[in-house]
Amino acid sequence: MTFDWSVVWRNAGALLQGVELTVLLAVTTMLISIPGGIVLALMRLSHVRALSAASAAFVELFRNLPLILVVYSAYYVMPVATGLNLSPLTTGIVALSLNVSAYNGETFRAGIASIRKGQTEAAYALGMGRWQTMKEIVLPQAVRRVLPVLASTWVSLFKDTSLVSVISVDELAYTSMRIRAQTFRVLEMLTAMAAIYWLLGYPQAKLVDWINRRYGVKE
Amino acid sequence: MDLDFTPVLDSGWFLVGGLGLTLALSVLTIVCSLLLGGALGLVRCYGPGWLRWPIVFYIDSMRAVPVLVVLVWTYFALPIVTGFVLPPFWAALVALTAHISAYVAEIVRAGVTSIRPGQTRAALALGMSRWRTIRSIVLPQAVVRMLPAFGSILSIAIKDTAIAAVIAVPEYMNRSQTVAGQSFHPIEVFTVAMAVYFVILFPVTRVVDMVYVRLAHLGRS
Amino acid sequence: MSAAAEARVNAGRAADSVPTLIYRNVVKRFDSLTVLNGVSMEVRHKEVVCLIGPSGSGKSTLLRCTNGLELIDEGQVVFDGKPLPRDWNGMRRMRRRMGMVFQNFELFPHKTALGNVAIGPMAVLATSRERAEAQAQALLAKVGLADKSASYPFQLSGGQQQRVAIARALAMEPEVMLFDEPTSALDPETIGEVLNVMKQLAEEGMTMLVVTHEMTFAHRVADWVVVMDRGTIIEQGPPRQIFQAPTVERTRSFLSHLGWSG
Repeated sequence: MTFDWSVVWRNAGALLQGVELTVLLAVTTMLISIPGGIVLALMRLSHVRALSAASAAFVELFRNLPLILVVYSAYYVMPVATGLNLSPLTTGIVALSLNVSAYNGETFRAGIASIRKGQTEAAYALGMGRWQTMKEIVLPQAVRRVLPVLASTWVSLFKDTSLVSVISVDELAYTSMRIRAQTFRVLEMLTAMAAIYWLLGYPQAKLVDWINRRYGVKE
Repeated sequence: MDLDFTPVLDSGWFLVGGLGLTLALSVLTIVCSLLLGGALGLVRCYGPGWLRWPIVFYIDSMRAVPVLVVLVWTYFALPIVTGFVLPPFWAALVALTAHISAYVAEIVRAGVTSIRPGQTRAALALGMSRWRTIRSIVLPQAVVRMLPAFGSILSIAIKDTAIAAVIAVPEYMNRSQTVAGQSFHPIEVFTVAMAVYFVILFPVTRVVDMVYVRLAHLGRS
Repeated sequence: MSAAAEARVNAGRAADSVPTLIYRNVVKRFDSLTVLNGVSMEVRHKEVVCLIGPSGSGKSTLLRCTNGLELIDEGQVVFDGKPLPRDWNGMRRMRRRMGMVFQNFELFPHKTALGNVAIGPMAVLATSRERAEAQAQALLAKVGLADKSASYPFQLSGGQQQRVAIARALAMEPEVMLFDEPTSALDPETIGEVLNVMKQLAEEGMTMLVVTHEMTFAHRVADWVVVMDRGTIIEQGPPRQIFQAPTVERTRSFLSHLGWSG
């Protein structure tokens, strides 16, 4: 059995583009899902029953579905539901965003709830209104609290981008497996794929550990 | 948009068979991951120093690499290295266990280290052996504290079995794809799939939460 | 209370002073528990009134009902001649005119001392940043913390934090200051610095309602002392009466339990 590891170097360009798309997917999804999560959390904490229930339902739904199923469903349902012909990339971002927003919604809700009641009372005692208090006092503290959890969510998201390969988005996993199919160099390409994810993911995991040590709330 | 669910019903038994495999794979994965992860976590906490860094390296590596990659590598590449071909189901079991046991090990480590040293000291002062202390004092409290995290492991394991569809394990996700492709009614098929997974997953975390609420006081010290 | 009864109770108070706050038969319940059971009292202009009594007597609840953090169930709280509104926005406008200092300070941890003192005027009164910060610096100097304006709460001692909290409340130029056990969470060494600031405020003529366990402070600084137990006022009068010649047995036993020997 001979191995030809040069296939990896020869396709380095394509692999690098795959990495770029992986990063793009993760960054775009996070940019959508952080505000998305905050909105969902605020809805959940709202006094308006309909908003609170809608948010709870959304979060429960997407936390209890396999992401790969959401990806497939988005791919088939969205063109019919919206009448638009969206690219696999956009579909992938939509699926990922729905999923991560739901997780962030729960994260921010817990973060906001963890801010002591006395803080809101002190703000009210000064004459601040509900929305002002949320904006100036509660949310800034909550964001700091949830930073470690958001970092973990980022690492998970980065890995989950591999799942949009099933709808032919050209990120790292799809690119690697495409090259494998073209060159028949199974072990080399799959190991390279694993190695690249490892090289990207290992430092991120260590960074999350560091953030947890530095910013984690000690009970 | 007119929906026609009859293709789903027609393939009902086919899909149910897939569901059975989903559950079987989930249960086996969870059991194996708890055993392997528990062992890794305990060795990391109490074992000899030279074993710690390989275990930490393993855990961190599994945190860095996506499940899909581990699945695909185990099914396609591992046979090339070992010369030994694993059928899809067993390849999936190996890959999922390898991945999830890393998280279990982390949970065990976090749970054990959350028990105050004072507890251990009190037990040793009573004359208990180190092993007895771990078994009777530390672990029972730690296990209660780990329950919520274990609940999420259950949920993750079941969700990850759906990814095994990619390596041709004929579990529910895979069979849904087949039916969707043959019937040209993907929306109906996947809608049913979403309902099925939700109905399985939603109670799992709820039950764990309820059990935890009942037992939480046992872990407080 | 009838007019005659009111006159009797308030004998010993300056006859021409105007009440800033009037409580008439205030009742407050939490589920089945009645925490305030018909409380009637007054806080007059420029007076320092101290509320004392055992834990659970309802003192803090009365304070929180004053600025609307809790809503009363029955009775009336009259502020500056008008009853307190029962809607959120109306209550909000009232709160601007009252300052509150909390037992746990409740400084905003993500802002400096200066930021904490300035945020009230900036957010609520739409004061410009420059003016708000200049006023804040002056107030911090007044409470003896001019050099700590750039410090964050976690860098300050308990006593320093509470003084910043007082400055924060003063920044809104309130007509009355409400203190909810301001020194209960402090180390003994730092209690003095906070009490001194409060004494200074009293001497400057601020109307103050103080819930406290510091009997020496109440004896020396208060114009009027109200003793509460289990949701009712058991005795009220000038400090001389309460601390040296209480007329009610329960007052006597409460004070002796605190080790108060007069």
